[in-house]
Amino acid sequence: MAYAIRVRRSVRHSVLATSAVMMLSGAALAAQQAPMLDPLVEDGTLPPVDERLPDNPLVVEPVDSIGKYGGTWRSGLRGRGDNAWISRTLNYDGLVRYNREWDEIIPNLAESWEVSEDARQYTFHLREGLKWSDGTPFTSADIAFASELIQDPNYPVGGLFLTDPGNPVTIEVVDDTTFTYIFEEPNGLLLDELAGVNGISLVSLQKAYCGQFSPAVNENAEQLAKDEGYESWAFMMEDKCAWGQETQRWSNPDLPFMNAWVIEEPWTGNASRVVLERNPYYWKVDPDGNQLPYIDRLEMRVSESAEELTLMALNGEMDFTDRHITTVANRPLFYDGQKEGDYRLGANVPSQSSTLVLQLNLNHADPVKAELYNSKDFRIGLSEAINRQEIIDAVFTGQGEPYQVAPRPESQFYDEEMAKQYTDYDPESAIAHLESAGLTETNGQGIRLMRDGRPATINVDVISAFRPEWIDMLELMSLQLREVGIDLEINNIDRTLFYDKRPGGDFDAQVWQGDGGLDVIQEPRYYFPSSDESAWAFQWQAWFNGTDPEIASEPADWAKEQMALYDRLGASSDPEEQEDLMRQILAIAKENFPVIGVSLAPDGYYIAKNNLRNVYEPMKHAWLFPTPAPYDPQQWYFD
Amino acid sequence: MLGFIVRRLIAMVLTIWAVSFVSFAIIQLPPGDYLTSYMADLSAAGDRVDPATIEAMRKQYSLDDPFIIQYFKWIGGVLHGDFGNSFEWSAPVTDLIWGRLGNSVLVEGLAVLVMWLVALPIGIYAAVRKYSLGDYLATIGGFVGLAIPNFLFALVLMYLWYIYFGETLGGLYSPDLQGTPWDLERILDFLAHAWAPVLVLSTAGTAQLIRVMRANLLDELTKPYVTTARSKGLPEWRAILKYPVRVALNPLVSTIGWLLPTLVSSSVVVSVVMNLPTAGPLLLRSLTTQDMYLAGAIIMLLGVLTVIGTLISDLILAWIDPRIRYGGR
Repeated sequence: MAYAIRVRRSVRHSVLATSAVMMLSGAALAAQQAPMLDPLVEDGTLPPVDERLPDNPLVVEPVDSIGKYGGTWRSGLRGRGDNAWISRTLNYDGLVRYNREWDEIIPNLAESWEVSEDARQYTFHLREGLKWSDGTPFTSADIAFASELIQDPNYPVGGLFLTDPGNPVTIEVVDDTTFTYIFEEPNGLLLDELAGVNGISLVSLQKAYCGQFSPAVNENAEQLAKDEGYESWAFMMEDKCAWGQETQRWSNPDLPFMNAWVIEEPWTGNASRVVLERNPYYWKVDPDGNQLPYIDRLEMRVSESAEELTLMALNGEMDFTDRHITTVANRPLFYDGQKEGDYRLGANVPSQSSTLVLQLNLNHADPVKAELYNSKDFRIGLSEAINRQEIIDAVFTGQGEPYQVAPRPESQFYDEEMAKQYTDYDPESAIAHLESAGLTETNGQGIRLMRDGRPATINVDVISAFRPEWIDMLELMSLQLREVGIDLEINNIDRTLFYDKRPGGDFDAQVWQGDGGLDVIQEPRYYFPSSDESAWAFQWQAWFNGTDPEIASEPADWAKEQMALYDRLGASSDPEEQEDLMRQILAIAKENFPVIGVSLAPDGYYIAKNNLRNVYEPMKHAWLFPTPAPYDPQQWYFD
Repeated sequence: MLGFIVRRLIAMVLTIWAVSFVSFAIIQLPPGDYLTSYMADLSAAGDRVDPATIEAMRKQYSLDDPFIIQYFKWIGGVLHGDFGNSFEWSAPVTDLIWGRLGNSVLVEGLAVLVMWLVALPIGIYAAVRKYSLGDYLATIGGFVGLAIPNFLFALVLMYLWYIYFGETLGGLYSPDLQGTPWDLERILDFLAHAWAPVLVLSTAGTAQLIRVMRANLLDELTKPYVTTARSKGLPEWRAILKYPVRVALNPLVSTIGWLLPTLVSSSVVVSVVMNLPTAGPLLLRSLTTQDMYLAGAIIMLLGVLTVIGTLISDLILAWIDPRIRYGGR
């Protein structure tokens, strides 16, 4: 199969965009470099730019214009959990990547690949002459080292796609630039995994550096770790080279990278800023042959204070950010401050479908409640009793529209009927549905009674710390449901408890955001019980994934049918067939209506300084598609 | 006196040990552990985690051991100066907390100093000139300071500073000067940043100090020994400062020990709002992520500070008030 497989996951039918054409340059262009590197080359610290670039550097087509070198991109980080922002700004350089429209997988470190018909063998060809940021060659051996480390049971890192017990994989190194993954079973989603944010773990561990901590490479690794005061080699590896794509990676300036910028001032517990500088060995150029990136440095203020970051942005001290401070509530503030702060707001299309997903626990430990929640009539009754427009007006200043948990309008899986079913506010019909679900009697307070005479009270678990607007939405929903005789109690709890309750099945309902609105195939948690994020059918997903056999229970027939379809999807290497199977899964989800949505998540926004050029608009925003990195910040520049 | 101190020290060690146990137990109270919170964090970002990975990590971190075993492992290390590792930062706890505790002591110490320097003269003045205009003004001013929540004051100050001076207040020093030696440039830079949190933190306590000082002094001023001192011809200011003020200070001094922990806990929100690199935000974050060794170490050190503070206040008390010094005999 050719190198550019059309996956058509989430086609945005947009005419706005200048299409990002990633060409493979034939003859090497006369390369130029950033002025800050000139003295280093002159005094011999660095080899000339032609020797630093691969034979066939990746040519990045700028969004608007060829840029100029220099400048510092300032942004902000919050507590330790914020490594995601660093990853999103620069750490999207895996073997393959998505294009800017997020509808095609295109070459990156690998310049081409072949997939066998049965989707069991993937052969990749790396660019010739790639170098790590320390100047040493990047080869198949590094990928093999990382892959084997990920599979080591003594070193639990990320990289789910290589550790699936149902589908073991071996890696075969052909030569320095060629290697093959051989799966026991078909794996139709490998390229998606590699193009998503999780694929980065494969290209982030240099064998020469990280290998010294691994017993597989260095037989004294265990002793080395003991000498350095670590309990075992795995702890030392974690400290120096990080679990998968996680935190520690930005604390160790010695760790070599393949990214455009590398750590200069590391992220330690007492750092008040993190500084990254250009990687002189970065392997991408613009069409004129200028080595990227254009921007010299990244400077990230480490601040616990969202208020401080907000003021910095208002004050024009943030060159680009879309994190923490770009909330619904802050939008008017930032809008008004544009002139003063010399910045602009751009649109971020979220990957979420619904602003709130009400997940009734279909696997409830209480048999009476389980029976009620499994009644589709009951769920329809709840849905029709919600006055969505009122919520949209009160909470989202009118932004958004009534919407179920369904693919977004920008997705090729968009289905208006699925998105709009049972969203009309209709208390009478709601009551009729509740009555056919068996809730005919009421008590003195007008609350309907369940089969065993207890009032139909739904305790909804919610983490308001994550989305403060959820409480406002639930307060309104509670009043609305009260009208039809349902008692909705809001149970605002901490995250750990929220997750701890899932396996026991002893909760009525949980609230989360509608992930999977654009990344429909990759994130189907609400369409069928696919992962442990499917709180609405936690025991069914355990059955499907084989993760917690002690709590797993056999799913309803319709869910089993979806699971069989998804298994077929994963075994297919044909994007058309995958899409077709996903449509069938969605049709079953539509028919069975397992979770209730409220409104379409409105566009988010980013803040960019007015002199920052080549910034794409609008950006799609998802974890798997780690915005803004897929929009190539390496080609951003200051005018 | 010596016996008094020795008895105190023995009690201190036992108290600190009890504090360590309680603090560790408190952190274990909420359901879940660091890994559940870590997993929840990732999920919030949209990431997925393999439950098997989490299970393996839990084993690796010994999080599946019973509480008592975890505690003794930890306290055993503490006796050797090893407070364990912070999960979140993957770094020794000791590396993380000393700098931050230093900043805490610095900022909060300055706040106490300012508080006392402002409140005591005002309190004395308010007592001596009872019901005068100055008394009312000082009282109103103090109560306004008490009534405004610290974090709100911090926010308003940051906002006004941004509006009128176009600068973002935050942090304790410029990032460029992080880790440089304390030369004149760094001290000036520190003062340019630190005035704001010191102002915010000191306003709240001032009112209380003024009122306590004023009430105590009012009690003393009418006592016969003051009249005696006056009648012997001592100048008014001397008659007041030398005797009644000293006595009135007694309740203030005896609560020095409580000042340190109160300041640290009351400064947590201010530190978060103003992004101060003090122990407060680190404690808050370690509690929410259930980073138990880090949180345990901070809570324990706060306990130690309290105990030391109490000892100091006892000693000062004995020094300024002869009745206490000789009371033991």
